[in-house]
Amino acid sequence: MSKITFPIGGVHPADSKFAANCPIEVLPLPQVVYVSMAQHLGAPAKPVVEVGAEVKAGQVIAEPGGFISAFVHSPVSGTVKSIGPRKDLAGNNMTHIEITVQGDEWAEGIDLSDTLVTEIPQDRAFILERIQKNGVVGLGGATFPTHVKLNPAPGSKAECLIINGAECEPFLTSDYRIMLESPRQIVIGAAIMRKVLGDCPCVIGIEDNKPEAIKTMQAANAELGYDGIQIRIMKKKYPQGGEKQLIAAVMGREVGSGALPISVGAVVQNVATALAVYDAVQKNKPLVTNTLTITGDCLPQSAMHNYLFRIGMPLSYIAEYAGGVPEKAAKLISGGPMMGKAIANLDACTVKGSSSILYLSEAATRRKPQQNCIRCGRCADACPMGLEPFLLNRLYKAGDVEALEQNAAQDCIECGCCLYSCPSYIPLLDNIRMAKGQVMGVIRNRNKK
Amino acid sequence: MDRLLVSPSPHVHAKDSTSRIMGDVCIALLPAIVVSVLFYGWAELLVLAVGAVSCVAFEWAITKFLFKEEGRFCGASALVTGLLLAMNLPVTTPWWVVLIGSLFAIGVVKMSFGGLGQNVFNPAIAARVFLLISFPTYMTDWTVTPGFIHATDAVSGATLLGRYAEGGMQAVEGLDYLQTFFYNIGGSAGEISALALLAGFVYLLCRKVVKPWITLSIFATVALISFIFNLADPATYTGPLFNLLTGGLVLGACFMATDYVTSPMSNWGGVVYGVGIGFIVMMIRYFGAYPEGVSFAILIMNMAVPFLNKWFHQKKYGRK
Amino acid sequence: MTSIVIWTVVVLAGLGLLLSLLLFFVAKKFKVEEDPRIDEIEKVMPGANCGGCGYAGCRAFADTAVKAPNLDKHYCPVGGNDVMKKVAGILGYELKEKAPEVAVVRCNGSCGNRARVNEYDGIASCKVKAALYSGDTACPYGCLGCGDCVEACAFGALSMDSETGLPVVDESKCTGCGACTKACPKGIIELRRKGPRGMRVFVSCVNKDKGGVARKACSAACIGCGKCAKVCAHEAITVENNVAYIDFTKCKLCKKCVAECPTGAIHAVNFPVLPKKEANNE
Repeated sequence: MSKITFPIGGVHPADSKFAANCPIEVLPLPQVVYVSMAQHLGAPAKPVVEVGAEVKAGQVIAEPGGFISAFVHSPVSGTVKSIGPRKDLAGNNMTHIEITVQGDEWAEGIDLSDTLVTEIPQDRAFILERIQKNGVVGLGGATFPTHVKLNPAPGSKAECLIINGAECEPFLTSDYRIMLESPRQIVIGAAIMRKVLGDCPCVIGIEDNKPEAIKTMQAANAELGYDGIQIRIMKKKYPQGGEKQLIAAVMGREVGSGALPISVGAVVQNVATALAVYDAVQKNKPLVTNTLTITGDCLPQSAMHNYLFRIGMPLSYIAEYAGGVPEKAAKLISGGPMMGKAIANLDACTVKGSSSILYLSEAATRRKPQQNCIRCGRCADACPMGLEPFLLNRLYKAGDVEALEQNAAQDCIECGCCLYSCPSYIPLLDNIRMAKGQVMGVIRNRNKK
Repeated sequence: MDRLLVSPSPHVHAKDSTSRIMGDVCIALLPAIVVSVLFYGWAELLVLAVGAVSCVAFEWAITKFLFKEEGRFCGASALVTGLLLAMNLPVTTPWWVVLIGSLFAIGVVKMSFGGLGQNVFNPAIAARVFLLISFPTYMTDWTVTPGFIHATDAVSGATLLGRYAEGGMQAVEGLDYLQTFFYNIGGSAGEISALALLAGFVYLLCRKVVKPWITLSIFATVALISFIFNLADPATYTGPLFNLLTGGLVLGACFMATDYVTSPMSNWGGVVYGVGIGFIVMMIRYFGAYPEGVSFAILIMNMAVPFLNKWFHQKKYGRK
Repeated sequence: MTSIVIWTVVVLAGLGLLLSLLLFFVAKKFKVEEDPRIDEIEKVMPGANCGGCGYAGCRAFADTAVKAPNLDKHYCPVGGNDVMKKVAGILGYELKEKAPEVAVVRCNGSCGNRARVNEYDGIASCKVKAALYSGDTACPYGCLGCGDCVEACAFGALSMDSETGLPVVDESKCTGCGACTKACPKGIIELRRKGPRGMRVFVSCVNKDKGGVARKACSAACIGCGKCAKVCAHEAITVENNVAYIDFTKCKLCKKCVAECPTGAIHAVNFPVLPKKEANNE
């Protein structure tokens, strides 16, 4: 079968998947964890435990704070020591629940065994409830509550479930490792989500720079033999894992401006989410663990790791355990180098969506002095949304919000291709992100009226 | 690691830079430069050296003493301008005329608009046209200086296009087009070898520095128009091969019209731009007072670029 | 030859006459009637078009002022009472005088007081920086130092002090238009009453963290201890969210709070220099 990819734009940053051959190791528990109440897109969760309460791993400690929100569970067993503001990785205050770790006791009703449960529940409501109650959120980056996404508004029908195994960001290998180590669980997770979406066909898309993962996943899929699940090989290109780009690559459809993927019949979930869905539905295990990559361009091969972490572990604890922050590291990033967030505060704690601690050296990451635009048009060629970043940058500086909207600044997916490819080092995305915010504000105000 | 660096994403950058792109253009010009020096000798080397050095020097001086911002100095870009200007001049051009051309290209056409990336017109071409109008005697003297390779059929005094403009079809009859493709004596350095220029252009395409659309549309338009005219009246109008291989068309289409700053951003804009250039070139060659029109055509279409950028956009995701 | 010259002159003269007649009639027919007072008001306005009044510019201010029933919603902070008196005179309205105000930077997190723990490497814009993270220091409330306020000021009254990394207000140039207060994403700059001979007392901190956290991040932070509120005899000081605020309408400039503050977060400016302690910065 031919390889697929999205048609507009895209760039080819160096793969740098140094940690690809490091098996997933389980991190030991720290003495204390801090569980953030903002681990998902939408309203922060509300704590439902009191200071001094004894909690077990997997016990609910916070409830959704709104319709788009999620349950948060205790990742460890121990005592709630405090509930209060603590700085997240951007240095801003957010409510955290501090739990001192005592032993490792799990709450009742959680299946911790390794037995593979292949039987898929038939009751749609049961599946959705398990997913919601176990706090599953999208682990592809946006951390959107999964049960909301799997339950499209009446009138819209899912025609294709796309499972994202692209992992198009350089350096990151956590998705790759789980595809190698838990392929059957992922396929079952996909089959469960397919069931919820009314037995729509399912495509698991994997980029061609991961031949091992493709082989393993194909074998697992053949072995389990579920209907309607297909594995497709995609040509490596960034940002293949972007929701809109995946839909274009797999289905050949384009989501309209401001519309949701379901408007073209697509639902996109990450492979890590599929694994979390398997755990939640088949094992009744809440989302309190995830996989994270320790990697970077200034680390020796021996210091690269893939870890199974519990949420609430301080990043500094993980970094220390992995061998400390390398001397040459200038910037620490949570996530990939294209869309990840710079870590301003290493004392921040892991959340459900944490996917890496990436150490980049000064040479690789420091921005070079900006030069004049030479109108080479590389930013426009690279933009996967077909926008013209040079133009948006200029319009933003001129403060022309109307023209920004006409030129679709609000469609920007912030993938970073423009800034990545600009030979004059113009901070295009910094400005376009602001422009997008302005235009979105104008659109919201208009819709209110 | 005392303080962590923090910036918005992305955190890595492609290895490209403006200087690297301009450097690639210089490399792409090398085959043509080597050929020109081989055929025209030391005199050609002098013209090239004066053009290159003076353009870089003017760029440096203006950014340093007038703009007072050394960060805006881009030597590689000035080098490209200097080389292109020199390749557009007759080998006999006195050094001080080249110097004036450089000053006009960098000082007036480029810097007075704000420097790199801000100019409306291609500096090298604008300077060539400026010199052509200011010093017509020097600029139309096509005497050939002795080179390191002596072509047996060397002619002096007029270019092929000049001969056609003067004497009509009879003056250029019996031309060996294959040889013209390899080398053609008479004319400026950039007009000698279409092969050397195309080799450089292919290098640029491979390095993804330029896209082929502008160049192809110029070639196609020139070929089509001359094909139609030649078909209608072969005794008066030259044919497609003649028009593609003579004059500054290859140099103009490959290196001057594709200049980033003064060409449209979108692919379709580029095609329209190329068609415009091809059309104007042919109209000047057939009906104009000057024998050659590539420079004028590019300058005229430079003016249309802001409009082309406004009218032609690329396809946006999820929109019609 | 002569006939050509004559014809040329005739044709051109005829054309000129025809076109001028056309222009004349168009000007008559499409003349826009405008209240002449708009022009008068615009003439007395400062003409900075800064938008400090809340309208798009001086012309827009004049245009709406003429139509308004009174001057309640029109006050030019740049021109102050002098200009407004003239405007009121033109319109025949009564003027409510306002005390002149000045921009005050409520952050004293200079490089010495606030240790830098991060280094910003993005575009020089407080707006971008604020959207990204809390700033280069452990204080998530303080000045980011990229100078959005300086850029917003139409009067050149703001500048960045390279030593402290904080903006400085030139009181002689500040017109109190408030553009900087809107430009600051952290809401640090406040318009406060200028005070007699420029004397005023204010809390130069907006850190809402608990005392210990705030103090650790910045040695000049308000720790919300409330000592100032206790010592104030005029009920001008309130402590909310771990940070004190002095209401300038109630403050009597007694400066008791300044002496009481353990971190020196309360500043008193433009007071006559006392022999013992020098008047604080700015």
